[in-house]
Amino acid sequence: MNYFTLIITVLIYFGIIAYLGWLGYKHTSSAKDYMLAGGEVHPYLMAMGYGSTQISTSAIVGFGGAAAMYGMSMLWLTAFNVLLGIFIGFTVVGTRTRAMGQKIGAQTFPEFLGKRYNSEFIRKYMSVLIIVAMPLYAAAVMIGGARFLEKAVNINYSVALVVFAVIVAAYVLTGGLKSVLYTSAFQGTLMLTAMTLLIVFTYAKLGGITAAHQALANMADQVPPSLVKQGHLGWTSMPALGSQMWWFVLSTLVLGVGIGTLSQPQLSVRFMTVKSNRELYRALLPAGVFILMMIGVATVVGTLSNAYFMRVEGKIAAAMVIDPIKQTPNIDNIIPVFITTAMPELISYIFLLTLLAAAMSTLAGQFHLIATSLSYDLYKPETKDDVVRIKMARYAVVAGLLVTLFLGFVLPGSIIAIATAIFFGLCAASFLPMYLAGLFWKRATVQGGIAGMLVGSIIYIIDMLFIYTREASIFGVCRSLFGVDSLASFPWIVIDPIVLALPASVIVTVLVSLITKPVDNDVINNLFGTVKVIQ
Amino acid sequence: MLGLDNTGVMLAYLLSVAGSILCVIYGIAKWNSTE
Repeated sequence: MNYFTLIITVLIYFGIIAYLGWLGYKHTSSAKDYMLAGGEVHPYLMAMGYGSTQISTSAIVGFGGAAAMYGMSMLWLTAFNVLLGIFIGFTVVGTRTRAMGQKIGAQTFPEFLGKRYNSEFIRKYMSVLIIVAMPLYAAAVMIGGARFLEKAVNINYSVALVVFAVIVAAYVLTGGLKSVLYTSAFQGTLMLTAMTLLIVFTYAKLGGITAAHQALANMADQVPPSLVKQGHLGWTSMPALGSQMWWFVLSTLVLGVGIGTLSQPQLSVRFMTVKSNRELYRALLPAGVFILMMIGVATVVGTLSNAYFMRVEGKIAAAMVIDPIKQTPNIDNIIPVFITTAMPELISYIFLLTLLAAAMSTLAGQFHLIATSLSYDLYKPETKDDVVRIKMARYAVVAGLLVTLFLGFVLPGSIIAIATAIFFGLCAASFLPMYLAGLFWKRATVQGGIAGMLVGSIIYIIDMLFIYTREASIFGVCRSLFGVDSLASFPWIVIDPIVLALPASVIVTVLVSLITKPVDNDVINNLFGTVKVIQ
Repeated sequence: MLGLDNTGVMLAYLLSVAGSILCVIYGIAKWNSTE
């Protein structure tokens, strides 16, 4: 890559972001503008905001790298995300969230569930969970973006971290959700263009769709023995049923991330930014295509990189990215290496901006969520003055930035790598049953919601610290107390905590609701109106 | 089909693409619906 051209490209990109952020600031005059972007957002902005907030740099390089290791069985994550997260999410969950949210006047996800169940405890608990867990997830995204910036434009990592975080915080602080959505729409469009070009060029490079898949199928005997032992049967095959790899792909990736998207606070709030269901249906078009092209393309290209590198270098993808010190593959480098070696130079420039855009759009949504949770849901929810509310939210953005930056500097890379899965899983286990019951089941009571939320959180955290080896070994609490990484045995040590915590949360939410006093009919009928629900 | 022999992988591939097409078709069908 030409360094001068690269710098100019990055500067132009930041210039566009600065302009769009400024535009968001100019269009922000009320607290509703800051929290919900005014509540009358264009469908394309809503869709791109939703999609690009969901997809970070680690999603593209992380899933791509994982797919290069584990193969196309990871496409189940794409299928779950498109069908469940987007189609069902928008048409069923989103439409109901929007309607109910407008009826009760909610401007954040904790406020929405707090008012639905008439419980300040729910609102505060959700806010605390968000404020504690989200900075970890945000730090992971920030580090991903900064590491990328460090390598791409050759600047010091600490400088990259600060510059990256400050730029994003600047437009979130000034323009709130409007700045977030305007910049996300641009970033999402860039990401969509890049991933479309990437899949087209990759299939063309390998002789077409069928030839590419066939080349991959023909190299099943090249799977490393260590992966074969885990159940790997080839990059175009599902892993062996019940094997370690099967549990990892299904439980962590598919269930954890696929189902987890439905209860992400920074995503669910987007449903309340549009005026009517018509906008949600229109947003479905770009959203459905966007998620396919992000996660699907990353998975397919990551897997196919094995076929490319085998043809050109005589090695599988993992062998191309061996860390010289650790002597193990750094799979996060597979997608960047593939693009720089196999793709035309123009794609490399566009992809560089794409990875930057992915990180910034996700981080912006995260900073905004931390700010609204801290300033509006937790601190002084009774404040009515718009000027005061916007000021408090801006202070909260600064607080969120400082905490996240601190974590970005001090936390080890191993914790950062699992932060995304933890946040998604913890939110799903804690909020999803209460959220869906609140939308569709008139019989759901506040006691049921609280009980399910607490049980989901507690089981998830215990499993994460004492059973699921991948995470327990990193936190080290189990080892400190008991001298072992996990208190359980196979398969529990390789099953993601969400597999236990989410069903437990569902069962408790339902049972406790059924044994506690139903909510007053007038209140329920007012909330649900004439919409069909479970009685 | 498409060079993918494994049923599980083929299903995931087709469902991913079909899901996206479903979003497009449904969005067009409900373009002016407020229900």
